Amino acid sequence: MGGAITNRVRELRQRGEGMTQQKLAEAVGVSRQTIIAIESGRYSPSLEVALKIAREFGEPVEVVFELVTTAD
Amino acid sequence: MSSMSFQEKSAWGTLVSLLVIGALYFSSVWNLWRAEQLHMAAMFGLSVGFTILLTVVLVGYHLIVAAISGGQDEDERDRLIGWRAGNSSGIVLGVAVISIVLMIIAGGMVDDPFWQQPVVIANALMLAVLLSMIVELALTIWFHRKGI
Repeated sequence: MGGAITNRVRELRQRGEGMTQQKLAEAVGVSRQTIIAIESGRYSPSLEVALKIAREFGEPVEVVFELVTTAD
Repeated sequence: MSSMSFQEKSAWGTLVSLLVIGALYFSSVWNLWRAEQLHMAAMFGLSVGFTILLTVVLVGYHLIVAAISGGQDEDERDRLIGWRAGNSSGIVLGVAVISIVLMIIAGGMVDDPFWQQPVVIANALMLAVLLSMIVELALTIWFHRKGI
């Protein structure tokens, strides 16, 4: 049994008035390309960055990121 | 191009420059070898010349990229990509160097003078370094594009 990390970063970022990828990137201290990679599932961030992203959205980290069990 | 980070643009420019200048260098070495003019002094001149050319091209390229899109500090993803790509290129370099050493030893055992020549050994080492750098840069681009 393996695991894959999915996230709701794009959905939460676009909630309400919305936040640009650049603004979120600056808030958590990564590049915009890293936010793009996280949103598209090409990169799973460190715990520190995941917690910072969750804090920006005012949500617990498990609402933003989820470990999905896979069959392999 | 605008979706690329500075690190990815840097990797593309360095890879293309290395491939072009590396090909020019080794074609010059091959031509000198065929003309039986490849001795250490000529090779030293060639390698210094191409190293200076590569440095000038890379400095110019990075200055232009930084001026157009701005420099960018590495973040954790860039560092992870750099570490994984560097790890793989280190393995390539290690295997290549061990292979060259084994060829020298084997050449000595069967009295084959080819692998005893300093210019052959030096160029084989240059090729090993070039290959490992190409692997590192190609993997850097791959990880940036496809994820890590």
